[in-house]
Amino acid sequence: MPLIIKDEYPTKLFREDGKRLDGRDKHELRPIKMKVGVIHNADGSAYLEWGNNKVYAAVYGPREVHPHHLAKPDRGILRVFYRMATFSVFDRKRPAPGRREKEISMIITDCLEPVLFLELYPGTAFEVFIDVMDADGGTRCASTTVAALALADAGIPMRSLVTSVAIGRIDGELVTDLSGIEDKAGGADLPCAITWFNEEISLLQFDGDMSLDEINQCLLLAKDAMAKIYQIQLETLKNKYITIQQETTGGGQ
Amino acid sequence: MNIKRIISKIEKNYIIHNLKKEERIDGRGLWEYRNWKIDHDLIASAEGSADVQLGDTHVITGLKYEVGEPFPDVPDEGVCTIMAELLPLASPLFERGPPDEQSIELARVVDRGIRHADCVQTKKLCIKENEAVYILFVDMYVINYAGNLIDAGGVSALVSLISSHVPEGKLVEGNLEWTGKYITGDTIVKELPLVLTYGKIEDMIFLDPNLPEELICEGRMSISVTEDKVTSIQKSGPATFSVDEIKMLCQKSMEIGKKLRKGLDLWQYKVDYK
Repeated sequence: MPLIIKDEYPTKLFREDGKRLDGRDKHELRPIKMKVGVIHNADGSAYLEWGNNKVYAAVYGPREVHPHHLAKPDRGILRVFYRMATFSVFDRKRPAPGRREKEISMIITDCLEPVLFLELYPGTAFEVFIDVMDADGGTRCASTTVAALALADAGIPMRSLVTSVAIGRIDGELVTDLSGIEDKAGGADLPCAITWFNEEISLLQFDGDMSLDEINQCLLLAKDAMAKIYQIQLETLKNKYITIQQETTGGGQ
Repeated sequence: MNIKRIISKIEKNYIIHNLKKEERIDGRGLWEYRNWKIDHDLIASAEGSADVQLGDTHVITGLKYEVGEPFPDVPDEGVCTIMAELLPLASPLFERGPPDEQSIELARVVDRGIRHADCVQTKKLCIKENEAVYILFVDMYVINYAGNLIDAGGVSALVSLISSHVPEGKLVEGNLEWTGKYITGDTIVKELPLVLTYGKIEDMIFLDPNLPEELICEGRMSISVTEDKVTSIQKSGPATFSVDEIKMLCQKSMEIGKKLRKGLDLWQYKVDYK
């Protein structure tokens, strides 16, 4: 594993051969690996490796709401807690959740809520815990993607899955799925998520400067990339049941 | 998924009934561990890491470092601190918020076992006397809780230290410069202290309580041992232990510890960074 001693940014983010520093093409995703049902105690859980990002998500619910005054009489509530491990970043993070983590928890809650039928669960809470064990750029996208998978694994009725990816600009060119170094040294970063039941954008943030045309292009590129990740999500969920089927029928059909 | 805060009387009686016959509900003997599964150096951002599973209990530990000033009473020694976090992701029994008693106990018991065992070579973590030393942070995160976090945490802390690779620095006219080399686990770690936890229900004692056993335990005893010494003991829970029982447990810990140390072969997890 390559090691950095100093947190220095390179001046050029493209190599001589036109590829990105990690050898990817402009719109190539980092390798993605997903697994569901990794945390036995949880009602649903998922694990995602996205490049160097390693994220666990667990869902508990519907269950009692603590503190009680947050409960709503006519519908359930969704609460998402995004946390990063102290060792997941270059400089050790303080153990207590910071402002950044609270904000990301909130935007992920807002992103996932539209796909749930919360009105069916009055007075209860669904709690999604997302813990980032290793971070290398794009953790909010990875977290959203893995949280949707954990919700599905918990068997909670959903309108559809949610998928997320970031598009950014490095050295003047639009690229898909920014790595940590590209995120810090690059010019612009646009993370977004899609709810597949209506194919609309449910998470959107943007930092940097872009022309109108570039923003339009970003959203188109994002949709292409998200469609690829969506397939991996579906495969992962299906594989769980194929495995169960094989175990119960002894490897038969 | 079927974790309860309260174990039913009938289940409790079943566990006790089995223990009386020297049997466990998961088919183990009284002095057997569940299966160990260990992975190392998997977190790219950390300077050493471990992923340890003991049965269904799952702990991920990472090591980070900072360069800071030494304590005035030991000016030539680095510092190694251990923290544990019981993530609410790991069990419905864990709640959000600042560390509670259970996570502090976990961190402290693991810390004491390591601290008193000539394990971390703090003198090797000194950059310049009185001025700069390494401060190592070993942070444990519980991913799934199925009983006996202490033993799993102890091994994961050791594996993170063994797999560590901290950049070597030196002070040149008051400024820190990196030499480009790394201080690795074989320099930092010497002894391998293992912590063994026993549960006690009525007058029955057994190794490595799983979750239902831990929930009905009246008492627990954690004993850290190196190759030839006991380095820390922690008794917790409302049970009492007789002197003979404590003697027996220390004796057992030495025996089982030896076997476990050989079985796990922790030195295989060191990494080479030159």
